[in-house]
Amino acid sequence: MTSTPNVMIETKQITKVVSTSEGELQILQPISFKVKAGESVAIIGASGSGKSTLLSLLAGLDQVTDGEIYLAGSPLHSLDEEQRARLRGEKVGFIFQSFMLVQSLTALENIMLPAEIAGLDNAKQLGQEILEQVGLAHRGNHYPNQLSGGEQQRVAIARAFITKPKILFADEPTGNLDSANSEKVESLLFELNRDSDTTLVLVTHDPVLAKQCQRQLNMQGGVLTEVTSDPQDTQPDQQQQAS
Amino acid sequence: MKYGFNLAWRLFKHEAKRGELTIILFAIILSVAAVLSLSLFSERLQGALTAKSAEFIAADRRLESDKPVDPAWISKAKELGLETTQQVYARSMVFGNEQMTLTSLRAADDGYPLKGELKTSTEAFGLGEVTAELPASGEAWAESLLLQKLGLKLGDKIEVGDKEFSLTRVITDVPDSGFSVFGGNPKVLIGLQDLAATHITGPGSRIDYTYFFVGNSSDLDDYYDWLRPQLNREIHSWQSVEDDDSRLGRSVGRAEQYFLLASLLAIVLAAVSIAVAAQRYSQRHYDPVAIMKTLGASKQLVQRIYLYQISFITVLGIVLGTVAGFIIQQLVVLAIADKVNVSIDVWHWRPLIIAVFTGMICAVLFSLYPLLKLFSVPPLRVLRRDLGAGMSSRVLQFAATGSAILLLMWAYSQDLKISLILFVSGIVLVCALLAITYGLIAVGRKLGQGKMGAWQLAWARIKRRAMDNSVQLISFSVTIMLLLVVLVMRNDMVSQWRDQLPQGTPNYFMSNITEQQRPALEQHFNQLEVKTDVFYPVVRARFVSINDEKIRTEITKEDETQQDSGRNGLGREANLTWSNTLQNENEIVAGKWLDEWQPGDEYGVSVEERLAARLNIKLDDKLTFNIGSEVITVTVTSLRSVNWQTMQPNFFFVLQPEAMQEYLPTYITSFYVPTDDKAKIAQLMQPFSSVTLFDVDARINQLRDIVDQVSVAVEFILVLVLIAGSLVLIAQVQASMDERQQELAILRTLGAKGSLIRASVIYEFLIIGSVAGLMAAFANEFTLYLLQSQIFEMQGKLHFEYWIIAPLVGAITVGLLGAAGCWRLLALNTSQLLRKMV
Repeated sequence: MTSTPNVMIETKQITKVVSTSEGELQILQPISFKVKAGESVAIIGASGSGKSTLLSLLAGLDQVTDGEIYLAGSPLHSLDEEQRARLRGEKVGFIFQSFMLVQSLTALENIMLPAEIAGLDNAKQLGQEILEQVGLAHRGNHYPNQLSGGEQQRVAIARAFITKPKILFADEPTGNLDSANSEKVESLLFELNRDSDTTLVLVTHDPVLAKQCQRQLNMQGGVLTEVTSDPQDTQPDQQQQAS
Repeated sequence: MKYGFNLAWRLFKHEAKRGELTIILFAIILSVAAVLSLSLFSERLQGALTAKSAEFIAADRRLESDKPVDPAWISKAKELGLETTQQVYARSMVFGNEQMTLTSLRAADDGYPLKGELKTSTEAFGLGEVTAELPASGEAWAESLLLQKLGLKLGDKIEVGDKEFSLTRVITDVPDSGFSVFGGNPKVLIGLQDLAATHITGPGSRIDYTYFFVGNSSDLDDYYDWLRPQLNREIHSWQSVEDDDSRLGRSVGRAEQYFLLASLLAIVLAAVSIAVAAQRYSQRHYDPVAIMKTLGASKQLVQRIYLYQISFITVLGIVLGTVAGFIIQQLVVLAIADKVNVSIDVWHWRPLIIAVFTGMICAVLFSLYPLLKLFSVPPLRVLRRDLGAGMSSRVLQFAATGSAILLLMWAYSQDLKISLILFVSGIVLVCALLAITYGLIAVGRKLGQGKMGAWQLAWARIKRRAMDNSVQLISFSVTIMLLLVVLVMRNDMVSQWRDQLPQGTPNYFMSNITEQQRPALEQHFNQLEVKTDVFYPVVRARFVSINDEKIRTEITKEDETQQDSGRNGLGREANLTWSNTLQNENEIVAGKWLDEWQPGDEYGVSVEERLAARLNIKLDDKLTFNIGSEVITVTVTSLRSVNWQTMQPNFFFVLQPEAMQEYLPTYITSFYVPTDDKAKIAQLMQPFSSVTLFDVDARINQLRDIVDQVSVAVEFILVLVLIAGSLVLIAQVQASMDERQQELAILRTLGAKGSLIRASVIYEFLIIGSVAGLMAAFANEFTLYLLQSQIFEMQGKLHFEYWIIAPLVGAITVGLLGAAGCWRLLALNTSQLLRKMV
């Protein structure tokens, strides 16, 4: 079975089971959904509901217990670690709650990292351009711990976009930021996303941030459901299994 | 490839600038510097000591032969660039002043001695001065003993064989005269050119030809390789300083073993510090690896980046370590320049090669496992921070690290035994520590309950990081143990050396003191405030038979080694003594020491074991001696081992006192006169012209000189190892302090007082330090026992004081280092602390 055309992400009955000292624990119930190219999707839910686990599976950071995942047409579920890494390098960008910058590299070097890993020759030039776009041209030579949280996240966003990925995964991108910085980061994220026509999958428990996405999926106890619009808003009955 | 290199270089540059590499870089620098300085110093020192010891055989190597050797052998030596000379030894009667006595005649060729100094004086028992000359044709030089025995003075004529010589100088010191208490027959030195005219070298005479060689060791080795196939063991004997079994030879040998041990321990210390640092380094890079993998880096790229990094660090560490090691060594040499003359001009490549090799092997082998762990960090760690490396087999890590250390020690020492001893001790220590850690943790669980005070926090921390702590405990214990081994070994060794030659060791011996002379002599010496030692009664006897079987073999030690030749060349004549008490450094190896004698019992005798073996004498054999016209038969009741190296008279036969009551003995005794008071000797001996005096002052001074030099060198090696060990301890505490950073930040954020945090960290380190110290003390005993009994041929003993000192010092040192590290962290404010954690 292959993926559907024009669909960037497709999951078919994926599950995740982990072993614990008290036996096996099913974190994700069978989940099937599709994300179209260029679409922005927010996965919302409480802490521990399984949304980060889903993100790790979608990004190929972890392996499904069962089911199939197609990422930009490639069957993630049947790729090994190395192949998944290559796929991530070519097609995927990441933004994390804790920024995940390499502490011993400067802001500019952190941004250049994915381009260098992908073997691009003009990594530095690309890095400087995007650094300017995120408004940190003057901070390029600073180390992460010399930057504020907001600045660090902007560096992380720049890093995510430098290779012009087809898909961007963001895990609580504003979770560690105050409201002023959150706003800056959000607008930057969506602006770059629009400009580069990237498919965005965003995990958050912030409803305001989620609302800015075209689609919202709700994760609760390992079960994913589609929220067509805010349930408290106008159409409370339109909650349905994501598909 | 290019990107891997660039990225690695960039990471390396930044991390170096930000001090992130300090720990591992420091560990490599330390290992290279310690190994280089120790081995370079010990190589240079050994060179100096070997040169000094070479004086005792008057050359670097010598060849002894019963017959003159093929002149081609000497030409070959010269061809290889060696300096050579020769000397002919003969036991010959010398006539003078109408008397005669047996002498040890030496006919020396130009150039003798190639090493060491010949000293002469212009009066008997006078203070000697160095001379570069040899007796001119027709002249002879002789020891004071000859002048005393024959009543000669300088200028008198003596006859050796058919030639007459004029006695022109008194010999006070000959470098290669051996270490025996009794120089044997007086030495007479003539020029080799005069030997033929004496006609004493005819058939049947007992002549030894000795050829001396000096040159650099590779030339000497080449020469020996060339010569060896042509040597006949029955006629020839090749000697080097290392073959020297004298007390001096053994002291130097032991010192060399000690240096080797110290260097080995430095290697282990270095390995421990690199292992600790590499583990820390690897843990600190879990995040970057996870990030890179998430961003699409292949495992291969990650591997390349970190292998490049390790290479950069290793190269930098080796370069800096070499410079540091060289400087340290130079400083040490300069510091002891006035005590030990170590040449700093000689450069030895071996230490540098060993140091570089050690640095590389340590860096690669000991960072291999942490690096493999690092490579296995999953990308998922970016989302789940609790995820570490995939591999978790510590047993494998210990096995790999252990075998690497063993191989390294073996490669370096080329001595499997010493390497195995250290290794097995290490294993025993590690196993014991693992058991104890878990035991302590169980105890701590009970102690740690209750209100959260500093003690409880400390215990909680120890408990939670059981495995990490056990690794830390092991590294602390191994470090402390190694330091203890080096320290205690040095104490035992130096004190043993000093005990052998305490100040006031008799430097003159007298024999032929008659029963009548003895009271007057004692009184005379008392008046001049010179204390005499024990008077040993001696009766000259002729050894006739063993169980009625006639003796043919001569009782002489000349058959054994040249070193021993002067000790007792008595022919079948033997000196009998008697005593109820066993002499110092004599030990019964078979039978029983002489019992109380009852009338009707047979008379007992105790025989020296080597003589007994040579003459096939067994317990209960009956030995018959002729004393004058009398015959005495005694039964062998014991065999004794005798330390011939002691500065005291020793005897082959010690008889039951009752057996000898009827015989008039002469006495042997010894006394001490400081070298500066040499003038007193004439005054002391003047009334007793028939008493024979042996002067061993110069020998003792030479010996003491060497022992002092070796002791000083050993002290400095100890200091070097102590410094290296302390640095390793600091590095370990620093590394573990980083691990505590996060917890400190949290406690600080929660409002814990600095004093509480500090106290809890100090307590934690106090506990770890004292346990490590205690375990190190036990392991130290174990290691020392093996080392002393198997390698150093010393008597092992327990060192109870260290069972208290080690835990105390361990607790205090580790506690203080912990406090210092903690103070550094607490000096930061909470937000800086939190930021450091990111």
